[in-house]
This record gives sequence, C-alpha cells and structure tokens, in this order.
Amino acid sequence: MLLNRRNSGERWRVRPDGPGKVTGALAYLTDMDVPGALYALVLRSPHPHARIVSIHTEAARSLPGVAAVLTHADVPGLNRFGIARQDQPVFCEDRTRYVGDAVAAVAAETLALAGSALDLIEVEYEPLPIVGDPEQALLPEAPLLHPEGNILHSKSYRSGDAEAIFGQCAHVVEETYVTTRQMHAYMETEGGLFVPGPDGSLTVYAPTQHGFMDRLQLSRILAMPERRIRIVSSPIGGSFGGKDELNVQPYGSLLAMVTGRPVKIHNSRRESVRSGLKRHPMTIRMKTGTDESGRILAHRVRIVADTGPYATLGAEVLNFATEHVVSAYRFGSVDVESISVFTNNGMSGEFRGFGGNQAIFALEGQMDRLAEAVGMDPWEFRRLNMKAADEPGPFGQTIARTDGLAKVWAAAADSALWKERVHLDISENSDIISTSSATFDPKRGGGDLPLWKRTGIGAALVMHGAGLGYGIPDPSGGRLALRKDGKIEASFGFEECGQGLIATLEQMLVERFGFAAEDLRIVIGDSDAVPDSGSSTASRATSMMWKSLSLLQTPFTEKLLTEAANCCGLPVQRLRLGPGGIWDRESGERAIGYPALAERLAEPIVCEASTSYPVPDTDIVGAHYLYSYAAVVVKVEIDDLTGRIRVLRQFHAVAAGPVMNPQGYLGQIEGGSSMALGFALLEESTMAQGQYIANNFDTYLIPTIADLSGPVEVLAIEDLPDGDAYGPRGVGEIGSVGLAAAIASAVRNAAGIFIHRLPIDPALLQEVMPIGQWAVMSDER
Amino acid sequence: MNDKETAAIADWSCTVNGRAVALQLPQARRLLDIIREDLGLTGTKRSCEIGRCGACMVLVDGAPVNACLMMAYQCAGRTLVTIEGIANEDDLHPVQRAFLEEGGYQCGYCTPGMIVSVKALLDAKPNPSFEEVEEALSGNLCRCTGYGGILRAVHRAIEEGQSRP
Repeated sequence: MLLNRRNSGERWRVRPDGPGKVTGALAYLTDMDVPGALYALVLRSPHPHARIVSIHTEAARSLPGVAAVLTHADVPGLNRFGIARQDQPVFCEDRTRYVGDAVAAVAAETLALAGSALDLIEVEYEPLPIVGDPEQALLPEAPLLHPEGNILHSKSYRSGDAEAIFGQCAHVVEETYVTTRQMHAYMETEGGLFVPGPDGSLTVYAPTQHGFMDRLQLSRILAMPERRIRIVSSPIGGSFGGKDELNVQPYGSLLAMVTGRPVKIHNSRRESVRSGLKRHPMTIRMKTGTDESGRILAHRVRIVADTGPYATLGAEVLNFATEHVVSAYRFGSVDVESISVFTNNGMSGEFRGFGGNQAIFALEGQMDRLAEAVGMDPWEFRRLNMKAADEPGPFGQTIARTDGLAKVWAAAADSALWKERVHLDISENSDIISTSSATFDPKRGGGDLPLWKRTGIGAALVMHGAGLGYGIPDPSGGRLALRKDGKIEASFGFEECGQGLIATLEQMLVERFGFAAEDLRIVIGDSDAVPDSGSSTASRATSMMWKSLSLLQTPFTEKLLTEAANCCGLPVQRLRLGPGGIWDRESGERAIGYPALAERLAEPIVCEASTSYPVPDTDIVGAHYLYSYAAVVVKVEIDDLTGRIRVLRQFHAVAAGPVMNPQGYLGQIEGGSSMALGFALLEESTMAQGQYIANNFDTYLIPTIADLSGPVEVLAIEDLPDGDAYGPRGVGEIGSVGLAAAIASAVRNAAGIFIHRLPIDPALLQEVMPIGQWAVMSDER
Repeated sequence: MNDKETAAIADWSCTVNGRAVALQLPQARRLLDIIREDLGLTGTKRSCEIGRCGACMVLVDGAPVNACLMMAYQCAGRTLVTIEGIANEDDLHPVQRAFLEEGGYQCGYCTPGMIVSVKALLDAKPNPSFEEVEEALSGNLCRCTGYGGILRAVHRAIEEGQSRP
C-alpha cells in the first residue's frame, strides 16, 4: 500500500504526544528546572592528543558561587564508561585522546559563574603527536593510543577462495569507496536535570536510548547500587543513535551527589559537536568479478573504519558493516576483512543505519559498475545475483524467510520512475546513432529544463538487519495492568525520541485489544516504573512491543474477562474487551466499565511478558535473523554550471512486515531518507589535526525544506509468509540507508560519472563549457 | 550572561502573549534567555544559538525572529508572541491543528519554531506560492521528518484558511 493519510483511513491517528508538541507545552528533559538548581559545565581538552602534566582547581573552587569542581580524583567508582567496553574516561587522569575528552566539571549558582570557574581551572598539557587518520594509526611507528594498540576490532568473513576465482572471471571491477563523518544533528543537544534525594538516591532526567543501561553505567561510576538510581529518559528531542551512549550524565550525576543539590546541564551546540558521537568514516575497497553472463563469482572487501579515541559501539558497527557489504547477493565466494582503528579524531559510534549506510553505498556502487562492465541493465543485473527467499543470510546463517527482497525489487522495476529511466536510456541510445549533438540528449534540457541541467534516475537495493544480533544479550518484555484508577496501563522500558513509539503502542493496544485510547495510560522511559525492554535502538522496539503484546494478549484478556464475569454474573464466553470496558456479545451493550471493574478488585490485574529478540543459529557474533528490505529509486537534476545536485523525486518500496502505525512508518522512511540525502550531498564533519572545522549549523549543513521539497512515495509491502511468528520488522533505520547509493547511481545515469566518495563533490560535476556550441546556444536563449 | 551584562540592569517591559510583562534586566540579555529562564516559557527551544536553526523562533510585532539573536533592548516595548501564545483560549490554532492531523512533527523539538514561522507566513500571505513556503521555512531545520509531513501540514493549513469564510 502506498502510505499516505488517505490510504490509511482511520489508521491514520493523531499522536498522543502531539498536542504537547504543537503547543510547546511538552517539557523536554532539558527544559526541566527546580528551585535551587546549580548550573554545570564541563572542561574539555583543547588538544586532540596530550599528556596532562598537572591540574589545579584551587582558584576555581575558591570563586564565590562555585559549589563544586571535580576531576578524576573525585570519582568514587569506575572512572570509565562505554556500553560495550568501558574504556572512555569520565575524567582524564594523565592523557587526553580527543577534543571532547573531559578533564574537569564545575557546578555553580549561575551559568556565568560556572563559565568563570572553568576559566580558572589550570591544566598544563604537553601536546603529543596527533594520529589523524586510520591508515596512519596502523603504521608501525604510529603512537600507541591504547596499551593494546591502535586496533579496536577486526572482523572477517570468508566463504570459498575468492582470490583464486578472480582469475576465472570475465569481468572484474575494483573501486575504493570513501564515506565521511556524519553528525546526528539532533535539534536538542545533550543535557538534563540531576536531582539527589534526601535518602542518598539520585534521579537522572536525561535523554538516552536505554535507561537501564545508563543506570548500570552510572552505578559503576558513582559506586552506588542501581536501585538507588532512577533514570527518566524520555521525551527526547532527537537521537538517531547519538544519545544511546552516556554523554553528560556522569558529570551531572557526580556534581549532584557531591553538592547534594539539583544540577542542570545543557550542552551548547559547539560542545555537542565536539564531544558527541558521529557516523564512522569508512574506506571500503571492493574487488568483484563475474562470469561472461554476469553471475558474480568472487567478492573481496577491505573495510577500514575511523572509530576515534574510544570504543563505545565501534566494534558492533564494524560487525554490521561487514555483514552488509555482503547483504543479499549470491557471490560464489566472499572474502571480507574489516578493521576499526583508534585515532585522535572525533568519537565515532552508533548512528541510524549502524554501518549499513556506508556498506550499501559501496556494495550498490559495485553492482552498477559490474552491470555496465557486463553490459546489462543494472536492475536486471541485481535480480540475476539476488538470493532467493530460502537462501541463507550474509554470513551463511539461517534467516527468517520472507519474500521481501524479490518484492521490493519488483516494486522498483514497476515504478513509474524506473520505467522513465528505461525509456530515456533507450531513446538516448537511439539518438547517439542518429546524432551526437548535445541538443538531442533526452536527459539534457527539454520542457522547463534549461540546457545546462541534466536529469538522471538511479536505484539501490537494501537489506537491513534488526536487533542486536547473535552473541549480544537482547532481552525485552513489557507489562499490562488494570490499575486502581481504572486505567489500562501499558509499561515498556523504551524511549520516545520522536519515532512515534508511544503512538505505535497506543495503536497496537487499540487495534489488537479493542481498547479506546482514553482507556489507556502508557508508561515508558522511567526505570522506576517500567520493566527493562532493552534498548530503543537497532530498529527493535516495534517488533518487541508486538511480540510482548502477542504474549500478553491471552492471559491479560482472560483475567479481565474472568473478573468481569464474576462481577456481572455472565459467562466468560459472552464477554469481550471493548472501548471503555467489557462488552456483552449478546446484548451488544457494555457490561462493565474498566473503572468500575478496577474498583471491585482487591488487587490490580497485572500481566508481564519476557521475550528476547530472535537470533540465528550460528556462532558468528552480530549475525542477524530478521531483516527488512528496501528498494529506492530516485530522480536527480544536475546543474552543470554549479555542479549541484537536486533530488526531484523519490520512490521507496519497503518490505518490513505489517504496518503498525502508518504515520510513523511513513515518517521513518521520509525522515531517514532526508538524512541519507544529507549524507550523499551535504554533510561532512571535516577534521583537521584532530579539530572539528565545522562547529555549528552555519558550516555543517543539513538538508533544509528547500532541499527536500520533491515528492517522496513510500510503498509498504506488508506480506509475510504464512506462519511467520515475528510480525512487524523495524523501519527505524532502513529509510536512512539506500538513498545515498541511489543518488550516486542517478548521477552516473545523468552525467556518466561514477561516484566513489560521499558527500558528492560538486566540482566533479561542473562542466567546462565547450566554447562554440554552448556559446551559440546561450545566445539563442 | 557575562559580567558586562550584570553591570547594566534596567527596567524592561514588553507584551508577551497578550500580557504586559515588566522585568529588571541587563539590556544585552538575549531574548531567548528572557523567554526560557525569566518567563519560564520553555516551548521556545534552544538549539544552535546562532540564528541558523529556527528552534527559538518567536513573533516580534508579528514578524518571525530568532530569539537567540535579539537582545532585551531591541525588543523592549514591543509585542512578542511565543508558541504558548499561538493557540486561542481553548482551541488550537489552525496551523497547530494541521501539524497535528498531518503528522508534521516527530521529536517535536523544532515544531514550536516551525509553527511560529508558518503562522507568520500565512498571516502575511494566506495563499503563498510553493517557493514562498520554501523560503519562509528555510531557516527552520528539522532533522526528523524530512519535511514531508511539514509540507503537508502547511498545505492543509493553506487550504483550510481558504475554505474559511
């Protein structure tokens, strides 16, 4: 179904968190305030790599109005954090490894005083040689950033003997693909409110994508039991993976516990840029060969990722990229070696798409090049080499069977956009025979298009794994209850970062159980009030809510109906759940309202479900079991004079199981694709000598409304095989993956240039004006 | 919020969301801080603080202004409207309703500024061209939606504005 409001009918619902958002009434965690709160700031290293000779905080401490100045000496527990591996210092002791490294933090009565106190902290640094790129970090003479060396993680996957088979290939294509450091650029920077309790407890109001992980990490740092820490993690003004790892929480928490007073932190944009995570820059070298007929025989890949100074999820991102440079093609033989390398650049980490974005840009680029080498239509070339539904996954693992790949392929082939491309290619080729004059180029000029503008159409195919993958604990669950006040309460340990999770949960409860929205109270993002559902990451939350509700449906319904039957003196089988209460099937009337039922109960009705994200039967860490598929077709316009690319039209076919929330699904694909557009055309967090060159939105450009005004069609392919037990697959990330590759493909189609680096450099596309012909043409116009 | 600021505290008054407001302020205090900190109106958001993202857009005498770029003395005596002042007593403004119904938001952090900019546009020009919409909203960044839902909301608000008598 083409997703839009009209086609969705009554399933298109106003989000429950909408009124607060359009009126400004919703308080984000960085909007919170309490009387007597202190303002906190963090002192970060000016040097990307330095030895700390000394730290003197006396002057800062003695400034009136300063409540506390903390350094590494003041951390009661572990002075390290990291979701997967705890190697990032809360406060650096003797060495800094990037410009976001924290050395001290202060809390003061006003923000101005906190700033003055930072200025009074004296840190003597001895700058060390900067490791500015991963290739340099791998040289034998490179300075060691960590005692174990400069390699965070390596991953390889082999099947067959690719090297030997290249000799038998009729066509071999080799290319090096380069992607750069992309910023999440969430509109709300990191921050929050940290409130110590009189009993030595702590409440943290700060955005994160997994409240329970923050609680565990803070308990290590504070040397406090987890039960004394409460994490309120929602709502969030955008995250995209960027706020999953700890950011300001250690500083706010430590300062609150030391001063015994509430503490507020809210990063400036500059500080957010400097300290926050980015997408891993990757260099992906690919060599791929086919036989005469275009069947791929061998695929060799080498990935080098710049992970920055500390681990966070760099290893997991690399595993994901390694899996997705293989994706859904039948390669004959595969040889992938990947490496993630420490540098003194910015922190790389989790970012929507999780390494798939870089992998698919490279892989799909390879498919286009090979198709041309073989002399085939690029989309037919993909079909020839695509795996069938019953074939194993990228790592040879068994995966849940769906026909998603074939269906998104066919949807793209049938799309009006792709047909337009096929038509243009045919007429272009016949024109070449009749005349070589540029005036007859069907892609140049014509209609409203001036002669210096060309159009082209390209496409890309995407396979995207969801869940954390094999080898990483991935439990989930949720709770339903009828509370004393008569509300049906649904509790999940997830966060609302804009994706529409609250709306999706409400819609599932309404559609599946028959409740009215007014019957419900949805509780999320509060570690004291919800079960641990796992992280709100990896496109997993909707699947896990669906699974939990599937498990809860029978027991919760039975309990409600049994209690209602007792109250009303009716047989259970005559009753059903409905809006406002329990309904009598025979009379068609409501037998008892939820509040009336709740009043008569001695105890609330509570059902809890535990589940886990499905993983394949394998021994390969990170291998996935559930995948979503997408095909993206895009039309671009290139201005020869400026080299600028404009996206005119997009078509996305997405196969991810049933649509739980049409508005949310559409929003995820549209929004994800706008990030991919930025990744392809605009965004680059350049670093020079370990320093960020762009510190704010004046120089780091993300797409504006003017970049994204072309139509975007999203076709949801909902079919799953009979007996599928997994329901909706996630769509949180897949929209952000394919568009960059499709744009590169469209640029090839329009301008005959293969793109191997993102963002696309306009200089590549600027044409030197042919003197004569063009001069005459411009006179005519 | 620096030392110079504290040196020059003076009377400051304004109309904010229809109410007279009188404060003692440093004359160079940012309007954004006045709104969020002094008046507690946190619907106006802080994001880039250099006038590039539009999250702090407010109306000053009806015109959209980035509150991070305006100082107290520049708006003294003028009429300010923040997102909290857009709705009528007990009914949403048509632009707010259009955003709600079309799903023109996700995380919602840019939404107050976006709605203020749309209101300013439609107040000045009830039937803007496509290019005028693009231009009016180019200073409001949204990272979540890809602008699709926002454009649908704006077009709905335009249509509903025309269908009203």
